[in-house]
Amino acid sequence: MKKFTTLCLSLLMMVAITGFAFAAGQQEEGEMAASGNDNLAASLAVDSTVLKAADGQQLIKLEGVGRTVPPRPADPSALPETDPLHWWDMEFAGEITNKTNIPESPADGAIGKNVTMIVHGDHPWTTACTNGAQKVADAYSMNLKIQSPNWDLAVQNQMIDQAINERPDMILLIPLDAKTALQQARKINKAGIPLILFNTLPEAKAMDYAISWTGPDDFGQSRKLAKAWADELGMKGGVAFVQHNPGTSPYFARCFGPISTLAEYAPDIEVLDMQSPGFDAAKTLQLVSDWITRFGDDLTGIYVADDSSHALGVAEALAKAGREDIIVVGAGNSKVGMDLIKDGGIFAITYQTAEGDGALAVQTSADWFNGLDVPAIRNIPQHIITPADVDSFYPPQW
Amino acid sequence: MSDDKTIKEEKSDVRAIKVTTLGKMMNSFGIYAIAVFFLVLGIVLQSLGIINNFLTTTNMMNILDAVTLLGIVAVGMAFVTYSGHYADMSVPTTMAFTGIICVQMLQFGFIPALIITFLFGLLIGLINAVAIGKFKANPIIWTLALVFVTKGIIRIVWDNKQIYPDFIANSERTSDLFDNIFRYRFFGKISLPLVMLIILIIALDFVMKKTKYGAQLKMTGAAQKAASFSGINTEFVIGMAFVICALTATLGGLTVTSLSRVGYINNGVGYDFKAVTAIVIGGMTLAGGRGSIMGVVGGVLVMGLIDNILTLLGVGTFSQDMIRGTIFIIVVGLNAKSLRSLGRDDA
Amino acid sequence: MLKKNNNNQKMLKLIDKNRIYFIFLFVFLFMSLFAPRFLNVFNLTTVTKTMAMNATVAIGFTMIFIIGQLDLSIGTIITFSAVIGLSMKEYIGFGGSVPLAIVAGGLIGLINGLLVTKAKISSFIVTLGMMTVLTGVIYTMTGGNSVSLSSDDAFAVSDFLGDMIFPFITPRVLIAIIMVIAFSLFLNRTRTGRNFYMVGGNKQTAWLAGINTDKYTIITFVISGTMAGVGGVLYAMESAAAPLNLGTSSLMYIISATIIGGTAMSGGKGGVFKTFVAILMLEVLYNGIILFGLGNEVKIFIAGFILAAVVMNEAIVAYKHEKIFGQRPELIKELKQVQN
Repeated sequence: MKKFTTLCLSLLMMVAITGFAFAAGQQEEGEMAASGNDNLAASLAVDSTVLKAADGQQLIKLEGVGRTVPPRPADPSALPETDPLHWWDMEFAGEITNKTNIPESPADGAIGKNVTMIVHGDHPWTTACTNGAQKVADAYSMNLKIQSPNWDLAVQNQMIDQAINERPDMILLIPLDAKTALQQARKINKAGIPLILFNTLPEAKAMDYAISWTGPDDFGQSRKLAKAWADELGMKGGVAFVQHNPGTSPYFARCFGPISTLAEYAPDIEVLDMQSPGFDAAKTLQLVSDWITRFGDDLTGIYVADDSSHALGVAEALAKAGREDIIVVGAGNSKVGMDLIKDGGIFAITYQTAEGDGALAVQTSADWFNGLDVPAIRNIPQHIITPADVDSFYPPQW
Repeated sequence: MSDDKTIKEEKSDVRAIKVTTLGKMMNSFGIYAIAVFFLVLGIVLQSLGIINNFLTTTNMMNILDAVTLLGIVAVGMAFVTYSGHYADMSVPTTMAFTGIICVQMLQFGFIPALIITFLFGLLIGLINAVAIGKFKANPIIWTLALVFVTKGIIRIVWDNKQIYPDFIANSERTSDLFDNIFRYRFFGKISLPLVMLIILIIALDFVMKKTKYGAQLKMTGAAQKAASFSGINTEFVIGMAFVICALTATLGGLTVTSLSRVGYINNGVGYDFKAVTAIVIGGMTLAGGRGSIMGVVGGVLVMGLIDNILTLLGVGTFSQDMIRGTIFIIVVGLNAKSLRSLGRDDA
Repeated sequence: MLKKNNNNQKMLKLIDKNRIYFIFLFVFLFMSLFAPRFLNVFNLTTVTKTMAMNATVAIGFTMIFIIGQLDLSIGTIITFSAVIGLSMKEYIGFGGSVPLAIVAGGLIGLINGLLVTKAKISSFIVTLGMMTVLTGVIYTMTGGNSVSLSSDDAFAVSDFLGDMIFPFITPRVLIAIIMVIAFSLFLNRTRTGRNFYMVGGNKQTAWLAGINTDKYTIITFVISGTMAGVGGVLYAMESAAAPLNLGTSSLMYIISATIIGGTAMSGGKGGVFKTFVAILMLEVLYNGIILFGLGNEVKIFIAGFILAAVVMNEAIVAYKHEKIFGQRPELIKELKQVQN
């Protein structure tokens, strides 16, 4: 009886509070930005090209950045994996879009606009990314709110729901997962809030619901790196790939991108193995030591998806086995990776500015607020860092 | 006449225990039987030409190096399991926490940093000791809570960034010393962590088998109430086990942080379950009071052997997970069955 | 004098047993008063939607705790059924893939239960191994890719599950609440339900009383697997996609909620409804923290702090009880009086 009364009482209390909430319910609107042509003029006058990232490089660089897009084959998945065009849908996601229900730009300048940025999780990279974003937001006097779901999809969905409730002027989103991005983008689009996706490539259809996508051209960079790598390898030998975590776009871009490029560019190079040990230096060390045991002198090159934990494991294993002749390249660019280039542990890494990534997303939103034409895809600059120019990228962003 | 009948009935006594050869073998050699099994498997696969270079010094050294870190952590946690308190889930965060503290303290020099780091490790051990030893909080849940609290502290103090030893150290020599914790090799072959592990094994095995404390620990693990009534200070015994675990976790944290060259919150992730796996397949039962450090070492070696053979076979990472999980359940099941068939407690 | 003491003690005991309701009320009131934009329909619906999956899975997990066992594999079962539910849809439609996913979860639970009861391996070991095996199975099944649906009927289902029918209640939330109430009534009202408590409280006595403890254990593991399956597949249907780490954070979350709600790992006490309220409380707390704009470190720290406080509280209560175990305080007082 007592338990029953407690049950009833608590239910009653909850209903009472619910009623209270319902009656008192109100949604706070975001502050409307001061509109008018003065705002637009001032906003257009802002020059963000003078901003610099922590490593001294230019924060936003748009000239000379772009890529040539080959025509889409009729059925990419029918092609073999070693054919670069097999990956067309992933690599060039968003080039062919069917933009749906995209809101019109108010074209009243970016000053004072409320922008909510939802990233994917806590990580030193993300800290650098949000720093870059904040720099541009400050330049345009935008109110930037940054939220991190710490790699939990349920929390990211919750944050998106809450953001939709707040109705900011723009949402910038790094989707945690390519496929769930579709539903997330659709939800935001249905609510009528402008959306820009960045950094992680979502499923192609998700691009229909967003204004634009900004970020690194992972496939493109990896292909460039693969070619430089093949040149250094002398166009022959056996290579192995330490992969990113499965299911993410870098998993495919940084492994199958190079493999398909090598198949065309240096067909004599043989792919020996590919494994995904997680971001654990000790496990990578073990993996590479076993690779050396297994393949011996056949192994002449290793490609790593991450230039910090993966690269360290590789460098240690090579030093231990006395196989420093193996040529290592990887996706960058962290401090550990750049240190390894200076030490000679790695031959080359890709330049991928974390600050520039966040900055470009905010810049694109500012351009949209200014009423400018925003392309469907915008990339951050590509570069291969080698021992020759690694010093110009210090101090490292993360 | 009636005597014959009675004798006959005794022969078919249903309560009789069937002592099987498998049971006897499992029990006397324990985990080493399984280790030998995998070694033989590897040799057979090599002679069949399916894998190569298995039985070489380099490969064997690689296996040892691969399991050194796990070994350091597992021999400490073995004390917690031996005392009947399942496991210490706070080991990964202790590793990360002590690692990042050491990097931060490198600004004062190498030796001061080491001392401060071990003091913090001791602190965590003492917190666990008081909560679980004295107040008898549930070990798994309490250490889990400690995980959250420690993670929160790391994030708040270091603001979601990772820190680099060479930026913080007060001199290049200090940061080199720190770097060498993982990388120094005696005679160019035997790594410092491996030497530390061997010393730990010898010392801790001695403590567990030959000291009064070890005997008290065994009694506490086997029957805590009885031990307490017989005059053993169970609070101290259990608390000490957690302190030992935290100290080996500190050593592990230093090693892994030295390897990754960054003070980072996720150093050490996964080592709680891995250590429990090694301890349990090594013959230590979760209920406590049974097992040995040498068994844990055997468990660690078996895990290394399995990983090595699977990678040499070219098995993908996910299939490795499936195989490892199944082997884990089978080995523990065999262990439990052999204990039961010999009439012993198999909890 | 004695009676007054007893009454005080009874009050304290009552508060201690039902502490989760008080904690929940406190957190809710705090957030309503201080957190910006907390008290509106939209935000509270977000809270209920987020907690629905964990609430469903926690039903089974609470029962596992009640019988004194442990199930570490619930996180991977969630992902497993989500993947099956979505990837089988194109072959046998939702009508086929959803039941299949739920049955698959129950099957895993059955394997767990059999290994624990028949092979007599500790549940910690069995579920730990199962967790590893399932992770490998999931990745092998999907090749490492997350699973998703993009057809129009998939969106229709997702919208249906996610749109409000009453304030704060969407169909998926409704399913969770109904199951919580059903199981809570079952466990507390019926004879069979109360037998679960007995199995956890004192296994030998339960066996002596004629309860087939093995059967109850197996059934509980099957329920736990099934509930994890239901929670996972429903969530996947609402987001029309399932990443491969869907259930990873659920394990720690549900363990914390169950403990905070008052169900101890030793078994024999606690309740499904209390766990439900604990999950609600944690969700409200996290929601409030996000609304305050505080970072994840605060979330993690507070979660740990609450868990530590709860565990400590229980431990100290047990410690105090132990100290006077076997003593007879009234007699000692009497003797002291006689001495004087």
